[in-house]
Amino acid sequence: MWKIQSYSHFAQRREESGRPLGRPRLGMVRLKEHPILDFPPGREVAFTFNGKEIRGVEGEPIAAALHAAGVRVLRHSPVLGRARGFFCAIGTCSSCLMTVDGVPNVRVCTEPLTQGMVIETQKGHGHLPID
Amino acid sequence: MADDDIIICRCEDITLRQIRELIAQGYHTIDEIKRVSRAGMGPCQGRTCRQLIARELAGALGVPIEQVEMPTFRPPSRPVLLSTIARGEADE
Amino acid sequence: MTQLKEVDIAVIGAGPAGLSAALACGKSGATTLLIDFMDAPGGQLIKQTHKFFGSERQFAGTRGIQIPSIFINQLSQMPNVQLVLGVNASGYYADSGVLTLEDGGKFIKVKAKRVIIATGAGEKALAFENNDLPGVYGAGAVQTLMNVYGVTPGNRVLMVGSGNIGLIVSYQLIQAHVQVVSLVEAAGRIGGYLVHAAKLRRAGVPILTSHTIVRAIGEETVRGAVVAQVDQSWQAVPGSEREVACDVICLAVGLTPLVDMMWQAGCEMKYVPALGGHVPVRDENMRASNPAVYVAGDAGGVEEASSAMISGEIAGISAAVSLGFRAQDADARLALLKSDLAAIRSAPAGEKIRAGIMSATACGGER
Repeated sequence: MWKIQSYSHFAQRREESGRPLGRPRLGMVRLKEHPILDFPPGREVAFTFNGKEIRGVEGEPIAAALHAAGVRVLRHSPVLGRARGFFCAIGTCSSCLMTVDGVPNVRVCTEPLTQGMVIETQKGHGHLPID
Repeated sequence: MADDDIIICRCEDITLRQIRELIAQGYHTIDEIKRVSRAGMGPCQGRTCRQLIARELAGALGVPIEQVEMPTFRPPSRPVLLSTIARGEADE
Repeated sequence: MTQLKEVDIAVIGAGPAGLSAALACGKSGATTLLIDFMDAPGGQLIKQTHKFFGSERQFAGTRGIQIPSIFINQLSQMPNVQLVLGVNASGYYADSGVLTLEDGGKFIKVKAKRVIIATGAGEKALAFENNDLPGVYGAGAVQTLMNVYGVTPGNRVLMVGSGNIGLIVSYQLIQAHVQVVSLVEAAGRIGGYLVHAAKLRRAGVPILTSHTIVRAIGEETVRGAVVAQVDQSWQAVPGSEREVACDVICLAVGLTPLVDMMWQAGCEMKYVPALGGHVPVRDENMRASNPAVYVAGDAGGVEEASSAMISGEIAGISAAVSLGFRAQDADARLALLKSDLAAIRSAPAGEKIRAGIMSATACGGER
């Protein structure tokens, strides 16, 4: 397998966490039982959403972790301020853009959750972090 | 909330009313509508709105939808960070 | 100066079509690169919990979720095949045959003699008031949330669309103990297989044909919807509007092939409604009008995973043969695959697809 040496913030975090494919832990909106699928528990990690601490499963998409915690409004649109959330789940529609660890316009429907991530609802087009 | 307030381009918040006004003003291709209103220029690059705008054009111009000309497609297929371009090619 | 990486065949997309294409290329001996922007391969297979039909060549009796690893196990044994995950194929420059890949950090340029585009299809949008409200989700998205991550989308779902996806996802919602309050279909009859619809009826889900959604209700998230009856010109019948309480509106109104790269490559495209929208014109070996480019799977026309695996293998074998890499049984295998594909498409429900495929296939016969 080719390894592309990557300097992007998220690529590094994924490397560090070993890129696990998230498996959810059982809980309130998380499925307790399912006739076919079996959801073995994954590593639970803490992250913050607009300052509030939430727990999710490492490696699952941020949007899934937020959804499980009851968060469905992910941002407000730049011009008309309309609430937006999850839509396509494959990173093409751009409804789910949020600011993650200070980096704006992150597609949270495909970006995996890692320990300690700081997730914020984005206002407008977002602000670039200045080094 | 009227029919016309339906959001067609969710990336740039362009409504159906705006699209219809542009068509009435004489912008008859997806490309022109894009350039004037920014519909299709946002992060999803028209993936969500292109077909909806095409349908409006087909209806307004009285042509079957297959005759509505598609805009030009150029790389990148997804938004790319400027820092990725600035770094240039990978060495490995 | 960086060395340009060179491969014989680059396969873009590691869903059922791409996996199948890469395996065929690998078996032929060509150097093959399989690329996917997700961190794990499989495309839409990763959430398909139902068992496949058809022949054993198309994994009949196996669940979709089990199929990617069957391919990966074989691919990882092939030294001439490389798999790159979490990387996006950003652009294809037809004049030089160069593919650019990026992962949010670095760019890589790959020179590929042949490119097989297996990028699949994406959800169509539906225009109705407040269609952008959180809680309005694509059916595929709901399926991913539930079947891959085990998170329910809500408690009461209004399903829009009665094609197979709408019917199957409704049933999967019920399996996850989520209520499907109703399924609305604008056409006068159910679009998908009646066997799926029957399961929903037995589960007590009202299926309303000639009905559509007019408006989503809610301030910041969905809390209801207004549905109305439609007449034959898709206009809402006045006075027929009713409110439905729901917290999720699931749109299953069709998929459209993700063909941006084919446009970039200058391929001749054609709008074929039965296939979901614009598709590349191709020959019966899945080769597009730009002879360096092949198409496989839903990117060539929305069908299903079984057809995707077959067209993927056809594209893989043909691309390899065009470069002189001919596995021993290539011709026999191609003939078998084409007849499998014809068999899948020969069901009465497949008539529109057959017509669509014919309209997208250029005459010219074998290369």
